[in-house]
Amino acid sequence: MSNPFEILGLAPAFALDAAELEQRQRELNRAVHPDRHAGKGAAERRHSLSRAMDINQAYRVLRDPASRAEALFELVGIHGLAERMVTDPALLGEMLEQRERLDEVRRNKDRPGLRELEQNMTARQQQVEEALGQAFAPLIELARARDPRATRGPELDAAQRLFSELKYVRRFREEVAAIEDEL
Amino acid sequence: MLLDIFDPKAPPKPIGIDLGTTHSVVAFVRDAHPFAITTCDGGPLLPSVVHYGGHGEVIVGRAAQSYIEREPERTIASAKRFMGRGAADAQTRELGTYRFAEPSNEEESRLIRFDLGDGTRTPVEVSAEILRSLKQSATEQLRAVGGAVITVPAYFDDAQRQATRDAARLAGIEVLRLLNEPTAAALAYGLESRQNGTFAIYDLGGGTFDITILHLDDGVFQVKSTGGDSALGGDDMDRAIAARLLTAMGFEDPTAAPKSVVGLVLSMARDAKHRLSELTELTLELPRNGGGDVRVRLTRDEFDAWISPLLERTGRAVRRALRDAQREPSELDGVILVGGATRVPRVRSYVAELFGKPPLANIDPDLVVAYGAALQADLLGRDSVEALLLDVLPLSLGIETMGGAVDRILPRNTTIPVGAKATFTTYADNQTGFELHVVQGERELARDCRSLARFTLKGIPPLPAGQARLEVSFHVDENSLLQVHARELTTGLEQRVEVKPSYGLTDEQVEEMLIDALDHGEEDFEQRRLAEARVEASRVLLATRKALSADADLLAAGERAEIERCIEQLQHAIEPGGANASRIGALTQALDDATHAFAGKRMDRAFSAALAGRDVGALATSVQHARGVEAHLEEHEERRQ
Repeated sequence: MSNPFEILGLAPAFALDAAELEQRQRELNRAVHPDRHAGKGAAERRHSLSRAMDINQAYRVLRDPASRAEALFELVGIHGLAERMVTDPALLGEMLEQRERLDEVRRNKDRPGLRELEQNMTARQQQVEEALGQAFAPLIELARARDPRATRGPELDAAQRLFSELKYVRRFREEVAAIEDEL
Repeated sequence: MLLDIFDPKAPPKPIGIDLGTTHSVVAFVRDAHPFAITTCDGGPLLPSVVHYGGHGEVIVGRAAQSYIEREPERTIASAKRFMGRGAADAQTRELGTYRFAEPSNEEESRLIRFDLGDGTRTPVEVSAEILRSLKQSATEQLRAVGGAVITVPAYFDDAQRQATRDAARLAGIEVLRLLNEPTAAALAYGLESRQNGTFAIYDLGGGTFDITILHLDDGVFQVKSTGGDSALGGDDMDRAIAARLLTAMGFEDPTAAPKSVVGLVLSMARDAKHRLSELTELTLELPRNGGGDVRVRLTRDEFDAWISPLLERTGRAVRRALRDAQREPSELDGVILVGGATRVPRVRSYVAELFGKPPLANIDPDLVVAYGAALQADLLGRDSVEALLLDVLPLSLGIETMGGAVDRILPRNTTIPVGAKATFTTYADNQTGFELHVVQGERELARDCRSLARFTLKGIPPLPAGQARLEVSFHVDENSLLQVHARELTTGLEQRVEVKPSYGLTDEQVEEMLIDALDHGEEDFEQRRLAEARVEASRVLLATRKALSADADLLAAGERAEIERCIEQLQHAIEPGGANASRIGALTQALDDATHAFAGKRMDRAFSAALAGRDVGALATSVQHARGVEAHLEEHEERRQ
């Protein structure tokens, strides 16, 4: 499949306008969705289905910040990202601390405490996403100029470090959500 | 009311069916407005109750309801609760009037069977009787009935959906689409109010609870998230009351009371629930176990307390759906109530507290789902441009990995149709086969999820562990049907599997039931196949002719002549005395093959038109960016040439 930005006709960037992304998905579905071609012949219905599948997959990838980042890494030429994950020891320590706090909240069925943790982490994710937007911009420029620093340079390191942080924050939020369901 | 003039050439009318737990409704659209059809009971609501008489007669609706107390075991209510469920399911142990057949083997245990005394029936067959009765009523009113959109709870899994499809097949109904109930309700509201915004649909029916968050923007209904509980509804409220009544009557273990008593008490409980929506207290007189009477006073406060745990369960699902939709309750433009159980005052006040705003219920909550289904049937029948529904996967789809964990390939609440890929590798040296287990659900372990299919990819060359790479693709079409495709990347070895969720009835078994149900068995079956093949062929012929006149400029030299030749052959085959069903099918396929390239170009044109004028600049830059960095754009190039 071609890259998700291209499918939706968007310029590659981490900082995407969520409303614009949604709007684009809606407009494209309006044109190609199988329900709009239900009365046509099988060939046309097949083409419409495969287009709609691509559009919705691209939307799913771009809507989620982590998979959007992965798509951008792919685009600049970084494959098999997991092996090159870099984790800041300070981040690791902080996350362990937060996790202990989460355990405590769960044990005490402390709903306000849980909400506070969730709010902090949501704010944290926003910060990380903003920083990622800034980190990806030069990386995309480098890649466009076919500059080898796109695949090995301080710009890439910065983006990867932030990406790893984003994944930690998200996993933590998923756990918070699971506990919220449980309480 | 408009005078109905019978036009023998009028195309068959598509219908919408709400196949509900407690009652069912069939509706159609005339002049852009939905109307409910009067059922055999004289009103729009047909109680979803089927009675099997001792001489093979089948009674549906209110007439069947009257048998619940007299012949509880031969009278099946709420069959929907058991669709696609196995004999060991927790639902079978709840307070009820039916008797379940003991499964005699492993295969039988996968599907619940009601024991009628002189035979058994599956929930699929029971539902088919209800659908047949609805179709009959629709045919009486509309003369020619086309395909149907049938609604299902959004939270139904694939097995439950497949069971519903099979019931329709048994009833001789062509399913245009299975539509999620809350989405149907939103369609009915949205098309009426034409108001844009984000809405929550809180749907508490007889046996199921669904919550859907949906965004409406100029005719595009986009489901943002959906969630719920496929075993929670108004029936549970009745049971909560009935259990207390039975205790008061002197049955220490309510589930051990005689079925006829349970039937009586359940209907008294339902009645009490309805009356408590108006009154704040009431007194019931009941027969005491062992003789005499007992008076029981029920208050609305008590009732509210009994249903509180049920409401809490809906609250959890609501919070999760909002989270998935990335919305706060304050960001919603309205909350829509659907389902008869939302008439209970405590339900309404609970919903108002949950969302911080009073809910809307201007369309009859018992009819709104059928209205939406009829509207969707109408839209599908016309390739309409006024409205489009973008629905989501209700449950995540994944693959079992080593150690029994689930790797999610498509998370819940992904817009469909959609495709996705994932790569797996071997865990042992010289491993020559991959076993793939496809599961559905949100739990971490595969054994806690619903198993959809298992298949094995064999013939992988022996390589060290981790060397062979298996690419698994999932494709979910607009009907939520899943196809799984596995490919070993080093050898190119491929296998494609259509994942038909199995719930205990095989295709052959359904076919047999179908033949049994028809008066002249096989002969009728052939007739039906021929009729269906002719309808499909006419549809394709019409669509192809339209396409030829609209986009003739896209045809390559010689392409038109080939298409015309196929059209002529097919046209000839469907005339009276023409070809048989298989031949018509083959010729339809030939026409389809001939139009493949043309259809692709037409889709490109539609796609470009959608992008055109919007942000062409962004598209051009994106292509340039992409060209500079990646080589995987040949596909795009091909498309442009």
